Amino acid sequence: MTAPTQAHDGATGAITRAPRKPAPTAFTVIGLAAVLLITLWAGAGIDFTLAPLIHDLTRGEEVLRQFVPNWSFLGRDAVITASLTTLYMAIISSVIGCAVAMVVALLASKVSAPNAVVYQVAKAVMSAVRSLPDVAYGLLFVAFVGTGALGGMAALIMFNIGVAAKLTAESIDAVDPGPIEAVEAAGGNRIQRAFTAIIPQVAPNYFSYCFYVFELNLRASLVIGVVGGGGIGQTIMTELARFNYDNISAVIVLFIVVVFVLDRVSRAIRRRLT
Amino acid sequence: MIEFRDVSVTYPTGTKGLDGVSLTIPEGEFVVIVGLSGAGKSTLVRSINGLVPITGGSLQVGETDLSGIRRRSLRTLRSDIGMIFQGFNLVTRTSVMNNVLTGRLHSTSSLRSMLGWYSRADKEIAFDALERVGILEKAWVRASQLSGGQQQRVAIARALAQQPRVMLADEPVASLDPPTANAVMRDLQRINRELGITTVVNLHFLDLARRYGDRIIGMRAGKVVFDGTGAQADDAVFERIYGRSLTAEDVAAPGAPARAGTDAGAGTDAGAGADASTETGTGTRDGEPLDDAASTSPGSVQAAGTPRVASTPTDPAATP
Repeated sequence: MTAPTQAHDGATGAITRAPRKPAPTAFTVIGLAAVLLITLWAGAGIDFTLAPLIHDLTRGEEVLRQFVPNWSFLGRDAVITASLTTLYMAIISSVIGCAVAMVVALLASKVSAPNAVVYQVAKAVMSAVRSLPDVAYGLLFVAFVGTGALGGMAALIMFNIGVAAKLTAESIDAVDPGPIEAVEAAGGNRIQRAFTAIIPQVAPNYFSYCFYVFELNLRASLVIGVVGGGGIGQTIMTELARFNYDNISAVIVLFIVVVFVLDRVSRAIRRRLT
Repeated sequence: MIEFRDVSVTYPTGTKGLDGVSLTIPEGEFVVIVGLSGAGKSTLVRSINGLVPITGGSLQVGETDLSGIRRRSLRTLRSDIGMIFQGFNLVTRTSVMNNVLTGRLHSTSSLRSMLGWYSRADKEIAFDALERVGILEKAWVRASQLSGGQQQRVAIARALAQQPRVMLADEPVASLDPPTANAVMRDLQRINRELGITTVVNLHFLDLARRYGDRIIGMRAGKVVFDGTGAQADDAVFERIYGRSLTAEDVAAPGAPARAGTDAGAGTDAGAGADASTETGTGTRDGEPLDDAASTSPGSVQAAGTPRVASTPTDPAATP
């Protein structure tokens, strides 16, 4: 008993001897107050209230009752086809999008770009491509090539290039310059430098981004379908127009399961790569 | 033959790498360049294959003049010059063989190298090179699984696979322990003797330079301050190269390191006595030259002691 007490006393002594924690600075206090005020002001601006959540709690009951999943809907040929279309679209878009992204990334990194002009242009193109969200590309390409899988895929590809190129370019920036120097000293040209010194180094990260992009595509395909880009999203739109909520909820549950499983698989693969 | 005529190199930052260097290195010679960090050793070696462009004078390597050289002819020149580095510069996540085949890029088309599709003849050359450095059995092992000494041998094999006429080595043993350093130096020497490849090596250690160099070139502040044989490199030469005479500290026991040098070593100047304990990342490597030197002559101790302090810390991961 004696020993622990002594140790405790020692610890207390240390605390009283230590300097006191300084009071928060004026900057911190004013900053926090400002955030609070702005939030209140924004809330007041739109008459924000949570009251309907309580008042109208039972109003959704009627809708919810119609959402009991109609599992048999999933067995229909049209639905199976649409689901597979979504999967194929995601695969093809990922492959094409990531392949293009690698080229763009090589041009958009100071390490691998042939010169400063190409580097700047590639960077600009990359941010331009990234500035539009997936839905915007969906609307754009459906307008260009009409409804269906092609427009949807074009949209996904653009979206994928934006994501994968940026991430890959950043990985290339961080590559070990030693092997690049070695390839240069051995008389290799730019393409050889990229393929023997840079790509092997970024490969794990790059493949990880490719899987990530594939995950994003599965999710995005829903939205893409809603704007007419084909696949299961389009089926949802049709059923929504017919008020077949039971069918929609079956599709949504299926979708959640598929995305969840693929998410897990892809994450497991990615973990192995890096 | 490599001929420097009044060559100077000024970096974009204004630093002078080389200052009016004139040298002739005949075919087949084994030349060792010594000097403090920042003395211009690295610049000298890298100017030979154009990794550092010269800004004054003229530099002739074989039939090629390096001033204002075009990219394509530079690549042709580089295919004739093998190079090995302090940090080995291997792609560690790929196989030893793939690394060695990098030496065959100059005779491989872009398309083939994109697909990693090397010709049978090139693979044969790569295997030969690996055999020459005694690690043929490691051909399909991932480079990251090898020790530092083995990795440097892979790098030598990569340079040999180029079938070069000149071999450059920029601090090839600075990341290696003394026995391994000697083994690598012996490999370089053997290759020089057997194949008659002109070899230019940068070293921190004057004792290694004396042991292996046909000729020693001492550099200080971008200028050549000594050019002669190992036997001629006496204490007076040491003073000229390292900018001071030998002091008692240089021959002191381990744990009492010598004072840092003048040039780039200035960063370690203050509190040099604590260096051995504070530089934890390189601590083991730093400690070893002294152990090694303790068994040799006092002259070796002096030579090994000074560069140790002047050396720049290297990537700890690269040390075996």
